[in-house]
Amino acid sequence: MNDTHEGTLDEVRRSSCCVVLRLFFPLLLMLPVPLAAQTVRDAPYIPASDSVVLQLVPPQTDPRVRQFDQLRSDFGAHPQDAAKAVLLATAYVDYGRSTGDARYLGRAMAVIQPFLESPIPPVPVMLIHATIQQSRHFFQASRDELTQILKRDPGNVQALLTLATVAMVQGDHALANRLCVDLTNNAGNFMGMICSASLRSLSGQGAQANALFSYVEDPGPKAPPAIAAWIEGLMADNAARMGLVDQADTHFKKALQLTPGDNFLLADYGEFLIDHGRDKEAIDLVGGDTQSDTSFLVLVTAEKALGLPKAKADITEMDARFRSMDQRGDHVFMREEASYLLHVEHDPKAALNLATQNWRVQRAPKDVRVYLEAALATNDPAAAKPALDFIDSTHLKDVTIDPLVAQLRAAQPDRSALSVSASASRSFSRGSDR
Amino acid sequence: MSLHRLLYALFAIVIGFSPLSAFAHKESDAYLTLRTDTANDHVMHGQWDIALRDLDYAIGLDSRHDGTITWGEVKAQRKVIEEYALSRLEVKGDGLTCAMQPTGQKIDEHTDGAYAVILFDAVCDKNIPSKLTVVYRLMYDLDPYHRGIVTIHAGDKIAGAVLAPSDPVASLNLREPDRWGEFKSFVTDGIWHIWTGIDHILFLLSLLLPAVLIRRRLQPRGDGWRASTALAETSGAFMVLTTQPPQYRWEASPRFWPACLDVIKVVTAFSLSHSVTLSLAVLGIVHLPDRLVESGIALSVMVAALNNIYPVVHKRVWLIAFAFGFIHGLGFASALAGLQLPAGAMAASLGGFSVGVEIGQEAIVLAFLPLAYALRKTWFYQVVLLRWGSLLIIALATGWLVQRAFNILIPGFSTIIPS
Repeated sequence: MNDTHEGTLDEVRRSSCCVVLRLFFPLLLMLPVPLAAQTVRDAPYIPASDSVVLQLVPPQTDPRVRQFDQLRSDFGAHPQDAAKAVLLATAYVDYGRSTGDARYLGRAMAVIQPFLESPIPPVPVMLIHATIQQSRHFFQASRDELTQILKRDPGNVQALLTLATVAMVQGDHALANRLCVDLTNNAGNFMGMICSASLRSLSGQGAQANALFSYVEDPGPKAPPAIAAWIEGLMADNAARMGLVDQADTHFKKALQLTPGDNFLLADYGEFLIDHGRDKEAIDLVGGDTQSDTSFLVLVTAEKALGLPKAKADITEMDARFRSMDQRGDHVFMREEASYLLHVEHDPKAALNLATQNWRVQRAPKDVRVYLEAALATNDPAAAKPALDFIDSTHLKDVTIDPLVAQLRAAQPDRSALSVSASASRSFSRGSDR
Repeated sequence: MSLHRLLYALFAIVIGFSPLSAFAHKESDAYLTLRTDTANDHVMHGQWDIALRDLDYAIGLDSRHDGTITWGEVKAQRKVIEEYALSRLEVKGDGLTCAMQPTGQKIDEHTDGAYAVILFDAVCDKNIPSKLTVVYRLMYDLDPYHRGIVTIHAGDKIAGAVLAPSDPVASLNLREPDRWGEFKSFVTDGIWHIWTGIDHILFLLSLLLPAVLIRRRLQPRGDGWRASTALAETSGAFMVLTTQPPQYRWEASPRFWPACLDVIKVVTAFSLSHSVTLSLAVLGIVHLPDRLVESGIALSVMVAALNNIYPVVHKRVWLIAFAFGFIHGLGFASALAGLQLPAGAMAASLGGFSVGVEIGQEAIVLAFLPLAYALRKTWFYQVVLLRWGSLLIIALATGWLVQRAFNILIPGFSTIIPS
């Protein structure tokens, strides 16, 4: 039954073999007292007593967990019902997004997989599949599927919005612009304005973007807080891009008030704080969320910038986390890892390599930035040409990027090596703050 | 914009804005490590780390539903966890499935939380695997993005693979096919088969018991005596019960070597014939139904023991050994088939098994012969061992014969003596 499809094991040398470090550290910060009593472990062990808490899982007291149970039993009773499958899968994706737990993407996928096997899967099934795909950073696959959906159902708002977002991440502003128009036509001004404000924010039209955003900043008392938080987050990014530090700070704080603990917002705000030399604040912000890889990355970066003694152990832990992602063949955090290699590990060559790979997948401002930083740090301005061309064509403006562009344009391919370094490129605000 | 439309749009946003987020944890992984054992080529030691979160999702570990998984809860579910996981993993050596035996339970911390550690042995006792294959199906129905990160340590070699529900199989050549090692391992199997096959032993012992003795016919006392002899000879049991003296008498063999020669004849004849049918059956040339073979073996034991009570053959006991050896050979063959021969190792395994059977048999003979020779003059040997012992063997063999031929269970019989 089994030898039909055989993969062959890749042999690896002992020296290069995966050393999975299993440091206990990050858990100390977040798990209850019995667990914190444990010491650092590096090998399997038998816990000291039955009452030792090993793992936190979603409790039954969480209404979302009870909702899963309800949806699961509904779907279990009607396993052929695609609508029930989509409801359950949507609940999983939503929960995974808000907690940052990517396992829920797989669980959602398992639910809809049987329906995807039909030659023409139902549109809602394809939609949730496309959402899962882009959440896993398979942007092109997601884009293809969304394009299929829009062929069958040209006015599908969710497909339009998701595709617009994917297009913006991929840096395809022409497509994004068309989709913003379609969104306005199909979903009304509210959606159209958010879409078009987002696009303007990426095209050097920050002031107009801000004006548009302010029209929709208050979506009304009946809107879910997640919507308002989303808009506040977009406004914060836009303000940060324009160098309006106080405004950005205010928007970030409003967003976090609306959705406390939101994984994406924490990382985004944390990076903003580090950019402005507010490393201590960044540590306070994410210190309680260290099981999240993105939050932990912010923590490690801030600790390293402050030269805290704790940084060493946490860097080891972060390395282990990146390695365990590599082990499974995931390349979801290429931009984050490139930035980490550059600013924490001080390995510009590896950082540039990763930033170049990342560039093939995503082209948001933060992707542009790490690409340029890495090219500068390796004294290889030519390497950044694709990103510079991209900035030319999109007119992207961002205070974290503009000085890099200037330095790269000024740099002759052969000279100016020593004047530019990764840390220098980060000092646009740090230098003035200190 | 109508309210309906706005609500729809808002719903769409909640789902649609996820591309902006980065997920904070990696997806589901499990770590499987297999290590060869330098001392035992048949065993791979396994360690399988599976996230408690995944196990909780699959089989429910948080029995108190309080959002925490404690060591007590994990321990209580050890059997369930092992059954769930190990039934979704196959380790094969040259295509033959190895038996999974859990050996322990621990906990390990990985970068994304606590994992249950299943320690187990994959016992590939059918051969010495030269090519190891792992078929990995954990979470295949629950999470298509689950990955099994497999590391195999084979001596100095380390190999790794990332297996997924859509790509569940990986293979590694552990070593050159070790035919000599396999031969040796089948020798062991052969020895054990003889030693644990009580019917084969009893057959052999029944034939060997009289080898250290010489049977002397008593002088006939006339025609009347013949009639009663005929009556007595219809049943060995009857003969024991009668007070009448037997018409023959056992005498100790005066010299060792003739006795030894008898033993060698019996053993050689037995070996010769069972080797023939063992080979023919393994090669697929001869096939008899198991029931017939097993009944035949029971019958052979009965006949061999009966011959000690009611001697028909004495000088040529090896003939009985030779004749029934054929049916015993078929019995060995079915035992060997139960071990599942690896393709390409037919000669090594068949040869090894035969040699093992011989060795096991010679060992019994070597232990038996000096002892029997020493005791041969005693009443204990001649009456207790030879006569009563043979009677007991007849009773046993009759029980086996009835059970095997008619496929029924005699109540209590199997508990006394295994069939």
